[in-house]
Amino acid sequence: MDFAVWFIFLSPLLASPIALVAGMRKIRLAGIISSASIAVSFILSGYIYLTIGSSTINESYSWFANLSYGVYVDHLALVMVLMVSFVSLMIHLFATYYMKEDPKKHVYFAETALFTSAMLGVILSSNLVLLFLFWEIVGLCSYLLIGFWYFKPNAASAAKKAFIVTRVGDMSLIIGLAILYSSLSGAYADPLSIPTLISNASAVAALIGPTKLGIITIFILGGAIGKSAQFPLHVWIPDAMEGPTTVSALIHAATMVTAGVYLIARIFPLFIDSASFSLYVVAFIGAFTAIYSGTLAWVMNDIKRVLAYSTISQIGYMMAALGIGGIIGSAGVSLAMYQLVVHAFFKALLFLTAGAILIALMDLRDLREMGGLWRRMPWTVSLMFIGAITLAGIPPAAGFFSKGAIIDASWSYYVSSGYNAAHLLPWVFLAFGEFFTAFYTFRMFSMVALGKPRSYLAEHARDPPKYVLIPLMALAALALSFGLFQNSFYKYLDSLYSAFSAPVMLEVLVYVLVAIGVLLGIYVGTGNRWKKLDTTDNRAYRVLKNKYYLDKLYTNLIAVRVILPLSSAFSGFEYRYNSANESTGHDVVRLGSAFRRIQSGIVENYFIVLVLIAAIIFLLVEILGGSL
Amino acid sequence: MIILGIFIWVLLSALIAIILKDKSSIFTKVSSILTLIAIILYSVLRFSSGYAGGFISQTNIALSKSVGIYFSIGVSGFADALLILTGIIFAAAAFVTDRKLYPSSMFMMIMLTEAGMIGLLISRNFLFFYVFWELVLVPVYFIIGKFGGPRKDGVSLKFFVYTHIASIFMLLSIFALYSYYDLQYKVLTFQMSELLQAMQNATFTSALPEIAKYFILFGFVFAFLVKLPSFPVHAWLADSYEQAPYPGTIILAGALSAMGGYGLFGIIFPFGGLIGTAGLDILVGLGLVSIAYFALTAMFQQSMKRMMAYASAASMGFVTLAFASAFLDPLKSENALIVASGGMFQIATHGIIMLLVFASIYYIMLKTGSDRIPSLGGIYRDAPFLSTLLLGGLLASLGLPGLAGFVGEFSIIVGSFPAIGYWIFFLVFGMLITASYHIWAAQKALYGPYNEKLGKISDIGGAPLAMLLLVFVTILILGVFPVLFFGPIQAYAGGII
Repeated sequence: MDFAVWFIFLSPLLASPIALVAGMRKIRLAGIISSASIAVSFILSGYIYLTIGSSTINESYSWFANLSYGVYVDHLALVMVLMVSFVSLMIHLFATYYMKEDPKKHVYFAETALFTSAMLGVILSSNLVLLFLFWEIVGLCSYLLIGFWYFKPNAASAAKKAFIVTRVGDMSLIIGLAILYSSLSGAYADPLSIPTLISNASAVAALIGPTKLGIITIFILGGAIGKSAQFPLHVWIPDAMEGPTTVSALIHAATMVTAGVYLIARIFPLFIDSASFSLYVVAFIGAFTAIYSGTLAWVMNDIKRVLAYSTISQIGYMMAALGIGGIIGSAGVSLAMYQLVVHAFFKALLFLTAGAILIALMDLRDLREMGGLWRRMPWTVSLMFIGAITLAGIPPAAGFFSKGAIIDASWSYYVSSGYNAAHLLPWVFLAFGEFFTAFYTFRMFSMVALGKPRSYLAEHARDPPKYVLIPLMALAALALSFGLFQNSFYKYLDSLYSAFSAPVMLEVLVYVLVAIGVLLGIYVGTGNRWKKLDTTDNRAYRVLKNKYYLDKLYTNLIAVRVILPLSSAFSGFEYRYNSANESTGHDVVRLGSAFRRIQSGIVENYFIVLVLIAAIIFLLVEILGGSL
Repeated sequence: MIILGIFIWVLLSALIAIILKDKSSIFTKVSSILTLIAIILYSVLRFSSGYAGGFISQTNIALSKSVGIYFSIGVSGFADALLILTGIIFAAAAFVTDRKLYPSSMFMMIMLTEAGMIGLLISRNFLFFYVFWELVLVPVYFIIGKFGGPRKDGVSLKFFVYTHIASIFMLLSIFALYSYYDLQYKVLTFQMSELLQAMQNATFTSALPEIAKYFILFGFVFAFLVKLPSFPVHAWLADSYEQAPYPGTIILAGALSAMGGYGLFGIIFPFGGLIGTAGLDILVGLGLVSIAYFALTAMFQQSMKRMMAYASAASMGFVTLAFASAFLDPLKSENALIVASGGMFQIATHGIIMLLVFASIYYIMLKTGSDRIPSLGGIYRDAPFLSTLLLGGLLASLGLPGLAGFVGEFSIIVGSFPAIGYWIFFLVFGMLITASYHIWAAQKALYGPYNEKLGKISDIGGAPLAMLLLVFVTILILGVFPVLFFGPIQAYAGGII
């Protein structure tokens, strides 16, 4: 059985170079090999799901120093691997169609297999260092895949941005690990082992002190914020849309942005046992991001960017669910994970349908030139509709249940905190976030599907062949039906889970907000009302268009105004320092004219002198040797 | 005795290389590869199991017992890792040396440098250590001075004078130590084992005049810092790397950069604690400043060679930091062990990574005629393998996990935290800048639209591709199974701490 666990991530890892080499000979093989390897991962995950019962698998070996490597599987990890391998498999299958014409298809499939493998590795790692290794490989793969169309200047710079921004988070994570390690080494034989940390969380907290542990967890949260694209490190994700759409689907649904949420869920006991500010920060950042990027998504005109901002916002719900675990306990993990899985289904579905539309429209991503596609691409757009209602949280789709539970729980969070006003904020942000979600989703959907085609390409769009939509249908079926498994899912992760409830009035308020959002979205998205909005001079609208100037702050203020001048000043200093060194040297040499002759052959002469001195020493030694 | 045989063989190869004239290229290539294989076999035989710290393969040949001059050798786990590194670097340097461009003297210099490197790594007698230390400098001076770029004359002289002045300080320290040992024990000896033991002995060091103690420590540390190089004694570095011909750059960045680190961890590590808290704090400061300063300087360079020269110096900042933190940890616990081992691992792997980077840049230079970032651009289109291998080298150099650079850096970061506390932000800032300019250089040189001014270029294939792949796989293996180097290194460090 343990052998099977290792092969969950080893299978795509090994398939990656094989797909590359085989693809060089016969390019069609690459897609088949990597899809098959991920199918193997999925089957093995299913096998473990059936056999694991209520036990855990923990196997680790010494790696270097007192750090180990190994796999650790519990129900949390199992849910994740099942989701990641399944969604990644669906995306791979669709990619064999989407990337059909690309001459570097074999490179693409080798990289996506590696990408999936790294994510599976993050999930299964039994040690935070090994987790960090896979974590960085996930980052590397996203860099390579976002820049897959390397000849597009935008793609190359988006890839760079993704790498550097997530690297900022990773550095925070590494600081967290460093403090954790140095506080625990000595006390524990394997200080960064996940099973050790989570089963001894309270002892760890007692040893380190809850405040210091709180600081550690905040640093770790920094890593999660970078990877999961939460405020303020979310700026890389909208740019990352320059990659192939299937890559966006992978990044958003399966293999990357959920890693941060998983990391916090993985070591959640450490968060619980640290000082209460750490989980409050998690809740606040998550809830704030949920509404923050919701407000941005509705001004975007690029279909993929709308979806990108919606991902940031939906991940915010997961973060908030984890954060409110600070009071409602580990139920927060269950809520977050359910939202994570549901999100993976519908976000993969939305991106893949967007991909199908982009293929039909020759890679036209601008919503302003779509319209009326429901009639022209009925299958694709119907699937997108299922994705959209799930995203907007409309029953019977699963999004209604997953987000409803989080919003109710955040009300309980407020109530259990003793009606502390600061603890009301998550509920406010999340509930009003629902309005924005419904609004931007249906604005986008109406601009895609309703009305009349606004371009030649949109007029002539056609559905892809039905068989390539099969993976999308599977995802759609899950997005629709997964609500049925809500409670069993919660119980699978946490057998003590009991549902949260909020006053009926508040629940109704949320439904009303969603309904208004949907209607407003359709209202804005049809006719020419979005165009009027888009060309308005309204200052608030312009702030939104410029993404609250945060990107500009990073690139203009930090990179261009601070780092570059600093670098320029340093290298200027370096140049002068070098010259000063040289001129000192020259002056010294020029001091005596006698040196002038030596200058020409200083080293040759020196070498002779060295040999002579050595000879003299040995001679002296021989002479003195007798006398001493 | 195997290792002595290898050393003598390399020394002889230098002679044979100059005698053979026309065939010296092929001879050097074969000989350096054989040397590498012999070193690996030796390491597998002696270090794969049963090594528990200290020095093995010890041989003493008394040349003059009365004044303590022995030809004395011994190999530690750390020296062995560097021996393997030396074997790899020189085999690769010989490999990329085009026989059409260089006379047989070039090949002699390469082998002579290798002999010097092996000699100083295995010497356990200070006098021979010093002789080999100097022996390395001379051929490298000639390689830069004879075959270097347009500013070769000034630069080679600067390289030589700079490092030579540092070595003289070391020589003075050695003599001072020698004399004080004689004063106290009435024995004249250059043997490292005895002199180092004395420095660890409280009765010996407390009898030393303060000024003598600090003079000895300063001489050693100064020589090693110049060689690393560390801020602010680095002025020889960038010019030498840039002006040296590519084989010379590979030797400088790959092998010679390990000398300073070897000095710190292989020679004075047993008595590093004598430096005292103030001195160690200064060293920590120099390490941190090196990391950030060189990173920021590197960011602004247009020449890839110069950029990577600074990147190399920044990586060496980690070594200074690791050395000092190992003594600053109040508990002397696992933290000291991991930080010291990480520092040594960093020294050993840094050379291999620099080899991959500089060798890839060399082939890019061959194919496109330029190694300046602005005059490249989009070469991935025509040379995907070459670009990917350079990217691999850059990623390893910025410390990406899974590749060898990560293990050392990670160990140093986690292990040095007790010593540096929240100065870790400084360190992390340097790492962020490092990541940025590496990725930036890759983006500008390798990706984006193709620079049509370059004309049509071809990808590498055949032997160069195989060589670079082999180096990359080595980096990968060391990143995934670091214990191959880390095991012996940790055993060596554990024996001292």
